[in-house]
Amino acid sequence: MNPSASSPPSDVTATSVFHVRGLTKIYGEGTAEVRALDGVDLDLNAGEFVVLLGPSGSGKTTLLNQLGGLDLPTTGELRYRETDLTHATQDQLTRYRRDSVGFIFQFYNLIPSLTARENVGLITEIARDPMTPEEALAMVGLTARMDHFPAQLSGGEQQRVAIARAIAKRPEVLLCDEPTGALDVRTGIVVLEALERANRQLGTLTVVITHNAVMADMADRVIHFSDGRVHQEHRNATRVPPATLRW
Amino acid sequence: MLPYLDRKLFRDLRRLAGQAAAVSLVMACGLAMLIMARSLIYSLESTRAEYYQTNHFAEVFDALKRAPNYLIDRIREIPGVAAAQTDLSVPVTLDLPGISEPSSGLVRSLPDFGEPELNRLFLRRGSWLPPGSRGNILVSEAFAKANSLNPGDPLTVLLNGRRQTFRISGIVLSPEYIFESRPGAALPDNRTFGIFWMPYKEVATAWDLYGAFNHLSLTLAPGANERPVIAALDRLLLPYGGLGSFGRKDHPSHIRVSDEIRVLTLLSIGFPTVFLGVAAFMTNAVLSRLLSLQREQIAILKAFGFTNRQIVFHYLKFAFVMVTAGLLAGLIGGIALGHKLVIMYELFFRFPNLHFRLDPVAVAIALTVGLSVITLGVISAVRKAANLPPADAMRPEPPANFRPSFIERLGLKQLLSHSFRIAMRNLERRPMQAVFTVAGLALATALLILPNSFKAGIREILEFQWDVVQRQDINLGLVEPSSARIANELAQLPGVLSMEPARTAAVRIHFQGRSRQIAMRSLLPGGRHSRAVDARGHEISPPDNGVILSAKLAQVLGAKIGDTVIIEALEGRRLVKPFTLVATAEDFTGIAAYMEMHAINRFLGEGDVITGASIGLDMSRRAEFLAALKEIPRVSTVAIKETMRQSFRQTTAASMGLIQTIYLTFAVIVAFGVIYNNARISLAERSRELATLRVIGMTRREVGAVLVIELVILACIAVPIGLLLGTGLTTIVVHSINTETIRLPLVFTTYTYSFAVVTVAIASTLSALFVLRQLNQIDLIAALKAPE
Repeated sequence: MNPSASSPPSDVTATSVFHVRGLTKIYGEGTAEVRALDGVDLDLNAGEFVVLLGPSGSGKTTLLNQLGGLDLPTTGELRYRETDLTHATQDQLTRYRRDSVGFIFQFYNLIPSLTARENVGLITEIARDPMTPEEALAMVGLTARMDHFPAQLSGGEQQRVAIARAIAKRPEVLLCDEPTGALDVRTGIVVLEALERANRQLGTLTVVITHNAVMADMADRVIHFSDGRVHQEHRNATRVPPATLRW
Repeated sequence: MLPYLDRKLFRDLRRLAGQAAAVSLVMACGLAMLIMARSLIYSLESTRAEYYQTNHFAEVFDALKRAPNYLIDRIREIPGVAAAQTDLSVPVTLDLPGISEPSSGLVRSLPDFGEPELNRLFLRRGSWLPPGSRGNILVSEAFAKANSLNPGDPLTVLLNGRRQTFRISGIVLSPEYIFESRPGAALPDNRTFGIFWMPYKEVATAWDLYGAFNHLSLTLAPGANERPVIAALDRLLLPYGGLGSFGRKDHPSHIRVSDEIRVLTLLSIGFPTVFLGVAAFMTNAVLSRLLSLQREQIAILKAFGFTNRQIVFHYLKFAFVMVTAGLLAGLIGGIALGHKLVIMYELFFRFPNLHFRLDPVAVAIALTVGLSVITLGVISAVRKAANLPPADAMRPEPPANFRPSFIERLGLKQLLSHSFRIAMRNLERRPMQAVFTVAGLALATALLILPNSFKAGIREILEFQWDVVQRQDINLGLVEPSSARIANELAQLPGVLSMEPARTAAVRIHFQGRSRQIAMRSLLPGGRHSRAVDARGHEISPPDNGVILSAKLAQVLGAKIGDTVIIEALEGRRLVKPFTLVATAEDFTGIAAYMEMHAINRFLGEGDVITGASIGLDMSRRAEFLAALKEIPRVSTVAIKETMRQSFRQTTAASMGLIQTIYLTFAVIVAFGVIYNNARISLAERSRELATLRVIGMTRREVGAVLVIELVILACIAVPIGLLLGTGLTTIVVHSINTETIRLPLVFTTYTYSFAVVTVAIASTLSALFVLRQLNQIDLIAALKAPE
């Protein structure tokens, strides 16, 4: 696809995709109580590339799980467009994940018994308006490896299949939990390029969780998390291409 | 304090409780069966041995026409004889109030004073016969119970045609009648047949046998050989109408107990083997799963210096906990079932005190077998894990290698959905695991065939015996061979639709050094009642000459059609003649020989006589007929088919039902255990994969399909194999239960097979539902955190 075909949403003025207020998630009770999220206020907008930074246990992953409809908050408000995710049923959450969310995990989570093409095809079969598996894999540069099983792919290739799987349904939201955590720098950059391209070409709100502060430079907005709260956030004037990143 | 490694063990166990319980349960079924059967064998054998010893059960027996009492001295002189005892044994007819048909029995004599030397009775209730008394009688317990007779009750007996009323002084048991049935009958009918004991003088007087005996029992000196004693005895008693003496192993009551023990022995080996085999497969599956999950833990243990041996032992302990639980449950189950079956045995076998005795050897065997089986299941799984270098094992397992499945390689890929492809490839990647599951499931299916096939076999025996072979309603036996004229008298009785005379004769059939003593029966040319039927169910028309043997008897003798067997009459003029074996007849109980009516009389040289008759009756006039029959004193035995059938239903059928229920329950447990276990393992092994599918938006139903399809594929492979296996197993077992007392026909019905298939289908469905429920509770976040 021609990168210039769709203009990158350089400035984020689009409508809010997620509207989060006073979001709290408490695990356990009494002395064992853990406040994983402690009153998060946040708005995430269409087409944004957001990097969530923070130390281990700061609540990043918990927030991502709430956003992705994998878990329900204890209190607070969480809206996706017009939908109130706080009070959604399991079936509604499944429907939401199926139609609107693409997930990318640190450990790829591919189905080992399906080839790259089939892993993507699994999703395109059930999605409303998907691209073809071939298109999705082309976007991540894996056309040549489409019929390989996960065991026959490198870590970076596996993660790119995971990205293809996530974007094939043209989701509105892409949620990535340490997508380069298990990869070396060179491979990591290839994966980030694929993410960046998806964000730019499809206009998908992309939220990336990472420990890696270097990645902040490629974002529109950087949110620092600590103790279950938004500690600070800033916007980058320009997004740095992933290829120039080093860590 | 519990060592930390053991704490890990218990926590692991708790996590796998469901699967560990399934393994233990299947193992418990096998061990329960083993303990039950071995303990019943032990109970029967030891109780019988003690009973025989305490009550001086004889070792050689003979029945004869009549011999003077002084002959006993010459019998005692036979080398090898330790003790000898003579007595009288005579048939009687009874008149029981409340029972329409004539009842019959045997009266045995007791010494007028003092206890008999051999075959002593056991007094259950009441008192012994008062010495020198008259008018008192002892009654066998089986008969007394069936007719609610108590000490002090009157009992009217037709002694040699004379009606006399006796007072029951005691209810007794005899080692000669542990199994009490009408001679030659396969099934007990304690309501209309009993054994009675009276003082010698009273019996002898009534039957005009004073100073004589017609029954003999003796014991052998230590180390004496039975054969020469029997030969000498036969020579000595020949002039007195001796019917041929026989040892304990041919004693009818003894044979029945021995046959039961033989069947139990078979069951104590065959069934537990299959159950324990399944348990071994399951253990292997559970352990392999645990070990692959704990790959990294094993590596860390090794890195910290635990030896391979320690690690293997750690996981063996896990298995030992399952064995111990299985053994305990098996022990409790085995003892409980054993008690139930002992109660059932009391329907057939009359012992003074038959109690369930736990066989300590069986428990030891169960423990050893259980441990070996499970160790076998563990070792291969553990060895693989222990052999892994720690550094390799600590890295997360690389993604498993997959390739397109066999069906796809055939070019049928387009036909398969993603769920189906995942299932197929998964099965192909772990063929051994699939093989084990299929094996377990196939065995479970196989186990479901046997009990129902047994049941169908029993039903077939009944139909065959009572609807094909013996089509009359009533069999009558006469006190002694009588002129055929009595047949006309019988035919005139009210309600008789058809009457066919019958002749039976005690004979010994010899062929090439082997022989059997039986009651040979007559066949009437064109007869509609008793018939001989070949293997295909066609009637064999009785030949003018020659003999028909039951297939089992022919097999025992080693004779084939066309061979010449020697038949020795044991009554009448005791002629010995060769006969051609012209046909073999199919039957399922006892052994039999048939000859044409006139041929049998020609052979015996006694002219045109009969010993009984078969009657086809208008059942609406049954009461009238039986009342009239009571007035014919020469009729000694009456066997009513309906009564036999009913009695069979209450005893044999009930007990077979119990055994069948036990086996079926166990088989169902195994089927559920195997399927549940397999589904749980798949679920646990692939929780991460399945959680991913859920996270990326597949519904529960779609994800469930992946697991269910796999289960269905396995079941579809296993069930046909299981049906074949079950057919084979049943064939082996049924062929093994092939004694001279009873043989089971091999019957496979659609019901038998459908039952197995449906049960496995239900077990699979329930397991699948259970797993689907678990799937709903799967922790999506935890499953995604990091590969296990």
